[in-house]
Amino acid sequence: MKCLLLANESAEVLFYWTDTEFEQRVQEQYGVSQEEGERLPAFEDSINTLFAPIIISCSTMVDRLGDNYTSFSTENNHIYVLHQFEECLYIAVNGDGDETEEDLKRKIFVMKKLTEIMFGMVTFSGALLRKELRPQDTEQRNRLWKKLRSLLETYSRLRENDQSFLVEAVERLIHPTLCEQCIEFLERRLVQQINSNMDRMGEEVLHAFILVHTKLLAFYSSRNASNLYSSDLLALIILVQDLYPSKINLDETSEMAEDSLQTLEAPTPDPSAPSRVFLESKECPMPHSMYCLPLWPGITLVLLTKIPNSHVATSVCYFLEAFVKLEKRLCEGHEGAAAMRGQPSVQEQRSRLEKLIKTWAGMDIQVSGQQNFKNKAFSRSGSGFTSDLLPSCRNMKTQLCGVYRQFFAAECMGSSQRLAPHLQERALSMVQEKLMDWKDFLLVKSKRNITMEFPGLIHFIYVDRSNGQMIAPSLNVTDRTVSELGKGPLADFIKKKVWSLVATAQRYLQKGYATVTLRDGDYFYCYFLWFENETGYKLEVIDIPSSPDDGAPVGMLTCDYYRKLLRYYSKKHQNEVVKCYELFTVHLGVIPNEYILQHCSQLARKLWEPTRIPLL
Amino acid sequence: MAETAALAYSRRFFFLYDSSKVQEEEDRTREGIYYFSPEDTPVDQQELLCGQLAGVCRCVSEMSSSPVRLLRLRKSKYAVRMKDSFLWALSCVVDIPDVSVCDLLDQLIALFCFYNGPVRQSYQLYSKEDLALRWARYLCHLQGGSTELHNIFSCVRTIDSTHIDPLLLLKAALILQACQRCPLVLAGCILYRGRVVSTQMTPALTMKVMVYETQTYSQDFRVTANGLSSSVGSPSSFTATTQVFLTPTELYMLRCHPVDRACRSHCSQPPCQPSKSRFLSRTLSDTPTTDTDSSSLDCPPVSYQTMPSSPRSSLSDEPYFSPIPSRVNTPLHSNLMNQSEYFTPDSHDHGTLNGTNLCAVKESLAGLNIKQDTDASSGSETKSEGLNSDQDTQSDEIKALANGYEQSNCLDNHSDHDNQIQNEENKLDANNHVANKNGKFQGETEEEARTKSKQVEGRLKEKYEPRNTPSPHETLADTSLVPSVLYQHRVRGLVLALLVEPEFNTDPTAREEVHHSSMASLNGLEAHLRNTSPGTPGPPGPYTFAHYDCIQNTLTTNVCGRSAGPQEAFVRATKLLHSHFSHLDTLQEAIVRLGSAVYGTRSMAQETYFLQQGTPVRNSGSPDPQDSAFSLPRKARQRLLKHGVNLL
Repeated sequence: MKCLLLANESAEVLFYWTDTEFEQRVQEQYGVSQEEGERLPAFEDSINTLFAPIIISCSTMVDRLGDNYTSFSTENNHIYVLHQFEECLYIAVNGDGDETEEDLKRKIFVMKKLTEIMFGMVTFSGALLRKELRPQDTEQRNRLWKKLRSLLETYSRLRENDQSFLVEAVERLIHPTLCEQCIEFLERRLVQQINSNMDRMGEEVLHAFILVHTKLLAFYSSRNASNLYSSDLLALIILVQDLYPSKINLDETSEMAEDSLQTLEAPTPDPSAPSRVFLESKECPMPHSMYCLPLWPGITLVLLTKIPNSHVATSVCYFLEAFVKLEKRLCEGHEGAAAMRGQPSVQEQRSRLEKLIKTWAGMDIQVSGQQNFKNKAFSRSGSGFTSDLLPSCRNMKTQLCGVYRQFFAAECMGSSQRLAPHLQERALSMVQEKLMDWKDFLLVKSKRNITMEFPGLIHFIYVDRSNGQMIAPSLNVTDRTVSELGKGPLADFIKKKVWSLVATAQRYLQKGYATVTLRDGDYFYCYFLWFENETGYKLEVIDIPSSPDDGAPVGMLTCDYYRKLLRYYSKKHQNEVVKCYELFTVHLGVIPNEYILQHCSQLARKLWEPTRIPLL
Repeated sequence: MAETAALAYSRRFFFLYDSSKVQEEEDRTREGIYYFSPEDTPVDQQELLCGQLAGVCRCVSEMSSSPVRLLRLRKSKYAVRMKDSFLWALSCVVDIPDVSVCDLLDQLIALFCFYNGPVRQSYQLYSKEDLALRWARYLCHLQGGSTELHNIFSCVRTIDSTHIDPLLLLKAALILQACQRCPLVLAGCILYRGRVVSTQMTPALTMKVMVYETQTYSQDFRVTANGLSSSVGSPSSFTATTQVFLTPTELYMLRCHPVDRACRSHCSQPPCQPSKSRFLSRTLSDTPTTDTDSSSLDCPPVSYQTMPSSPRSSLSDEPYFSPIPSRVNTPLHSNLMNQSEYFTPDSHDHGTLNGTNLCAVKESLAGLNIKQDTDASSGSETKSEGLNSDQDTQSDEIKALANGYEQSNCLDNHSDHDNQIQNEENKLDANNHVANKNGKFQGETEEEARTKSKQVEGRLKEKYEPRNTPSPHETLADTSLVPSVLYQHRVRGLVLALLVEPEFNTDPTAREEVHHSSMASLNGLEAHLRNTSPGTPGPPGPYTFAHYDCIQNTLTTNVCGRSAGPQEAFVRATKLLHSHFSHLDTLQEAIVRLGSAVYGTRSMAQETYFLQQGTPVRNSGSPDPQDSAFSLPRKARQRLLKHGVNLL
């Protein structure tokens, strides 16, 4: 019994997802009529009615106590997790015991991440996000919600079955020679050819990578591309898996797999149309087009391109930030020059903004309210930089988000803006040709990436958090091919244990504990997190600060915890490059502790090598 | 608004809210607030919290068809209980384990019901103001753990047995067994200055009984300080009874208590046999008496024979035990009434008291069949013959206890050194003896107990079948509470608390007998406990530990007071590990490190936590067999042995 819901402060549902069990329960409870056609809006209404008291109480608690609910649990172990992002309240419910409170929180943060990937800076404005998530047009809304639901289900499936989504790090296929060849091929042949072609319609390929299921075979970034963060790469893999679900789960008869099948029937209405994605950069979420080209079932080529006018995003972001800062300072009670402290001179900003608005006007994009702001802030009769300016300051924020939306939001994109279809086809066939002989090998390799030799070692996961990559033996319990652990109940049991080990380790890490060993039943579990410099010299341990309970979950997909951790550690080691590693192991409990620890130590040394394979 | 509210908001809240009082538009939320703590919270804030939390809980429980148990906010969390239209909520800071705060709330509600009966009914009988006093007291009692760890494990506070002569503990146990000679006595416990010396009850029940103890203890002192001490006798010694309410399970467990049964089976013998004049245990031999003394004092056998003494009395007997309010001194009334409402023995009672006491003690000893050297005791008989007045007897006994039980052995002339050696030997003897006896004793009744518990299970199942799942919290089921009586006999800091059948109040003979049978022993025990130095705690040692006994609900730790530095780190890790253990049954041991490493291990019966102090050796946190953190289990095993913690 599962549900996820987004609502705004006026208790309006912006999006919801439920499984059939939850839907049935609500219908039973509210006796919603099940007539064809009427069913959907009626169900939405009952969802609304059901959650309204909670949503309203949340606002009351925030307004009057400065606190908010984060979770409820009932005697029959139903869990409700709540999280407020700006004006948007997320509620996740589980009533079947499949998910913990932590899982639900993570799901909420992933949902947030997905909206950021899809809508970029539009998520900064509650009003605009509402427009985006809840289009007036019912059909359009249904289409969007279907897409979002499908993404959420894809994520849940990956989180449940895929180790790279368990630890939130990208898994690489370990084949250094082939990897190197592919990178070279992507760079010298593919990207170069596309970027020099006239039919690219002003787009420029920045990143190109090949996925075998969820595993990364090769990744190439062009020289002038900014860094692609692991959190984005993981989110993009969700999008790819949503479009072309891995066969693994099609064998299943689960509800999830059926949904995936439906998606497979009609991947996109327009196969050559790219998806709009907003990727993190130093300045702001930058719009990109993403092309997913299926080479063979399970193997996909992904191209990320820079789109025309994307520089507008940078300037919008610049002013947006300025207005956010101004608003914050005005709210804190600063007035006059103090309100503008820490920013370039007022006059300079004013002229820059005016220039920009003129340019936009030339592109048929209007920014209303700017005159109002100017009058109030700069004219003699106006009040200057006082708290009176707040409403128009907020209005400017919304306006800027609106400009951003007009330029980049998917629905507004002209359908013609894309790499010419023949160019896409050419890219596809080039890579197909290159990998033809490797295809079957790659599909098998993706199931048996690495093997273990230590007696008594049941499983391990090794993660390099500096580059967001992981190595682990396969645990494909749902697959027909036999993994290292074989099939059946034992494999499934071990899988559950591994999943709970990672969850436990993350819970302790959130509180600052970087070393954890557990003796649980017949097994012995270890977790280590440590730092090294570039040459592999192990650096001294530090006290990791404890994060608040309502903070972002430990991981990379959402609010990259490890990026912050590395930044924190690097402050103490400013002269060298700091790397961060994690090792999770499961051993048989009968093995003496000293042997287990020796194993772990050897394992860490051995696994250090493969992570040295260059990505670029 | 938000700021001022947030300021007060960092406090701990507890409230009881009745939503049935707030149903119409015009009903004010405050009508539904039965109790709110802290009481000086502005009413509008009380209304805000109660209104919001009750509303949101009802919404969630309707959606999930199950009451809300835990409600978390960003800065605090609430354990919640919902029953009918009632909602209880208790808040705490976020880092307290869920299991601890939920337990605390359950205990709080259970305490209230224990002393006041069903909630709805008690609010019909008494005013909100009166009951508010009670809630406040229970809250204060439960949150008054000496360290944060005590609150986390919500354990029963016991006297520090490492500084107490083990014979005293034995003596306390014997006093309790002696009291059970009266068939109306269900079970008892002995408390000293708010700590358990010996108990026959479950930890949960002991905890409940202790509240009253603490309350009357402080009240007693207040009264004395005000110079209003009762004229009816010395305030340092009095008895009182109060009505309490037991859950059917509690009652049944009390009535079929194995010790109880075994003892009573011996009760069927004529209570006063000549043979009982022999001193059967050196522990008690210091109470001087003679054959003539005991035979001249009649034990009241009538009460034994006429009372429904069968421990097999089933739950169907319940209607029989209807409360007789006029006879029962409820704590609420005792509060509001004069001190003299307590039953205080007159001085002439003291005269008969000693004999009865001895008789009962001897009976109990005979019941245990403990054979002891009678020669030694005969010395004391002659010696104490001349002591007639109660006062003298008492002081003599105190002296005896102070001398380490050796007065009767005529070792007065020996040097202290000899005395001590002899003392140790005797102690060892007595310990072994009793331990063996107890072992055998339990062996005999175990099977019976098992059969009985099966029977009771069956009956309870029958009784609660319609509810399908047994309530996690029996006291919430208002109707099932059974009135009973708590008898309390205080001697200064020492309290004998007995749970007795309601007839006890109407049966002066039984009452007198219990009183007399325990009086002298209690005096002696009290004097000895009073003279026992609390013991200077040894050097804290280069480690920190906590050992929680899950069966007895007790905690042994060298963490003291407000934790700081390494102790704070230890407490923090302990909270996390305890929470982890409570969620995962199969988890046996764990080592976690943040700066310094903490080792936690648990079995069915205990949880132990250990931290080795001292600067941790420089390490990287990468897997390393040489890492000192992994030697913690070995160190804990070695270090904790001397604290009586065996991790082997």
